[in-house]
Amino acid sequence: MILKIDNYLKRSTASSKLAVFRICFGLMMLYSMLRFWSKGWIETVYVEPKFHFKYYGFEWVQSLGSYTYLLFIICILCAFLITIGLWYRLSILLFFLCFTYIELIEKTTYLNHYYFISILSFLLVFLPANKCFSMDVFFRKKQYKEIPQWTVDAIKLLMVIIYFYAGLAKINSDWLFKALPLKIWMPSKYDIPLIGETLLQQDWVHYAMSWGGMLYDLSIPFLLFYRKTRLFGFAMVVFFHVFTAVLFPIGMFPYIMIVSALIFFEGETHDKIVILLKKIIHPLRSMMEVSFIENVNHFNYKRPKWILWTLAIFFAIQMVVPFRYVLYPSELFWAEEGYRFSWRVMLVEKIGYTNFKVVNKTSGSSFYVRNGHFLTDLQIKQMSFQPDMILEYAHYLGDHFKSQGHKNIGIYAESYVSLNGRSNQQFIDPEIDLLMQKESFKHKQWIKPFKDEIKGF
Amino acid sequence: MLKKIAVLVTISVGLLIGCSDNSSSDSTSSQTSQTVWEQKSQMLINWADNFIIPNYQNLSNKLSELETAVTNFNVTPNNETLESTRLSWLEAYKSWQHVEMFNIGPAEQTFYHLKMNVYPTATENIDALIASGDFSSLDNSPYNSAQGFPAMDYLLFGIAADDASILNLYITNPNFSNYLTEIMDRMVSNTNYVNSEWNNYRGSFIASVENTATSSANKMTNDFIYYYEKGFRANKFGIPVGIFSGGDIFPEKVEAYHNENVSRLLALEAMDAIKTFFNGNGNPSLKQFLDNFATEEMLGLSSDINAQLDLGKSSIEGLDSNFVNQLNNDFLGMAITYDNIQACTVLLKTDMLSVLQIATDYVDADGD
Repeated sequence: MILKIDNYLKRSTASSKLAVFRICFGLMMLYSMLRFWSKGWIETVYVEPKFHFKYYGFEWVQSLGSYTYLLFIICILCAFLITIGLWYRLSILLFFLCFTYIELIEKTTYLNHYYFISILSFLLVFLPANKCFSMDVFFRKKQYKEIPQWTVDAIKLLMVIIYFYAGLAKINSDWLFKALPLKIWMPSKYDIPLIGETLLQQDWVHYAMSWGGMLYDLSIPFLLFYRKTRLFGFAMVVFFHVFTAVLFPIGMFPYIMIVSALIFFEGETHDKIVILLKKIIHPLRSMMEVSFIENVNHFNYKRPKWILWTLAIFFAIQMVVPFRYVLYPSELFWAEEGYRFSWRVMLVEKIGYTNFKVVNKTSGSSFYVRNGHFLTDLQIKQMSFQPDMILEYAHYLGDHFKSQGHKNIGIYAESYVSLNGRSNQQFIDPEIDLLMQKESFKHKQWIKPFKDEIKGF
Repeated sequence: MLKKIAVLVTISVGLLIGCSDNSSSDSTSSQTSQTVWEQKSQMLINWADNFIIPNYQNLSNKLSELETAVTNFNVTPNNETLESTRLSWLEAYKSWQHVEMFNIGPAEQTFYHLKMNVYPTATENIDALIASGDFSSLDNSPYNSAQGFPAMDYLLFGIAADDASILNLYITNPNFSNYLTEIMDRMVSNTNYVNSEWNNYRGSFIASVENTATSSANKMTNDFIYYYEKGFRANKFGIPVGIFSGGDIFPEKVEAYHNENVSRLLALEAMDAIKTFFNGNGNPSLKQFLDNFATEEMLGLSSDINAQLDLGKSSIEGLDSNFVNQLNNDFLGMAITYDNIQACTVLLKTDMLSVLQIATDYVDADGD
């Protein structure tokens, strides 16, 4: 066994695989960050709000106000450097840190795909993606033909985890036996040409999409893995992600997944892509004096053990974290305890309406808070159905009103949530003073139990 | 390999097109043969032609009647002309209740609603303007609350203790008449602008059927819910009864405060407007859409909403005709009414929005 592992670790593969991946990743990030900026979201998400929702344990992350733009500029710069492969280790590390910091500023905009970018860039810090077709090669005058096989497999493994867990999460009674929430979402896409008024209105289409989506997610890692099915698998990847891009406002995610799937192809394919890219930038190259670059066969880490252990721990965490929900007694989709960071995408249609009552416990008098005074529309919408955000906001309100001179107050939530097309139910126990509750990893007793059952993962 | 893929893709595209040809016949999710597009389109036409345009027209008519009354009153200020002005004011104010939810298109662009019914009216500002005789500051947004129906409420009922003293002010100081005329002119010209602009706007309003945050159907639904929550629930009940202010009641913040007798009447008129709009008055509106496209669990939603609106209505009917008295004598009764109205907000903002699947905010953001 140990021998097997040892042999595996000694296997090597084409360095062009990671080079192509690096270039695709860099370009995607470059475009994503510019897109985010051009839509004005830096302002509305990070600069304008008076209050930011924080991740548990990361309350120390502060918004930098208008200096947030600086973080984006660093990210954009790093993305560019990653693309051309200049000072790769430094720029990917800086990118990971800045990008993750940005994400940690505001929980409202949590998306699985931002989390994916965060952990992928973390992974890339350790991988030799600059050993071929990069400015680092140009300046160091040393090019490696091959890199350890496991460095490429690490990225594949991450992709496999994402697809497989996303597929597993779809094995639940709402998704498979009620075609929810697709049954609610698809009819509202009536304005899509050709299929909007026809196919998307059909019950059987909703079921077919639900089952198809589940089977797709579960099988795609295998289809991409085997040489014989790879091309078919990749065609599926393109079709599936383009289809979801048409149907849902999910930004760059589909395209990032499509180019990431290229990593599964053979070294020859990547070599060809590199040759193609070299042709494209030929005019640029002829301007630079491409002096003699030494060709070295194998790239080897100086201290591979240290890196291997880091990645082993990293992947162990990735495989365990999505299952942490089993430790909570509550319904996962309802209470969302252990919901994030688990590749649960597109699974719930949730709408909440949550108001807060500030009660003077001495006099018994009370008043309601106008959420619009403190939160943006997007924050109100997201807070209204996520218990940890409700609690965090309640504490913020408590601090605010105490600083205004209110004494001995309690804060109570009147909250109603509709989940996957069910009639609304009371979400938070209205008798509980949220100021007396603390955020923790423990089960939140004050979330009202879900009055229905959703079976499955 | 490539050939195989090409064949596969061709077959699936063929299937896709083939299915879309004969699909409308076996639709199971909707109980109507109409498509969503047609439903929404008819809904928009109904809203434009049977609600928005005629209601603005009606308001415009009522305002020109009021204008005549004001002119007569200014020429000969006496008990009779004052009384007929007040009656016309009330009639116009009632018809206003049927347009306040339509803050869309030309009305939204010109901030029309902010100039018509912001209360409590700024009596100090009005007093100061009348004293100075220069009314040009009314163009500035801080003076929105010194014009419109609430300002006229003050001018016709509140500037002095009794009718004789009110008349005396108009007789002795021309600035009062001038101010009344100024306010009247603004209400008429602002309303007529919105009313006539609708002739141009109607076309783009009913054509905007798609499902985007800025399409007519979505904006109008959002406006309707916003009106129910803010203009109706909060302004007419929540704020006066102290829901947002720790139980301190504010009788002076009720609608038509200076008149002292019609706050309930106006609230009931608004409730009628809300119910009729929701139910569509015989033509497609939100109710029909919910009935046709709700999931099984929510099939009873439109009747639940109607039942809750009825409860709100009967609860309002049980209040004093003057909300000031109601607040001073039994503010808890008003608080209960508020709760009944609030219960419907929950249905509108959770269940109804879930079925309608429209963007509830104008924030554009990625999802996952």
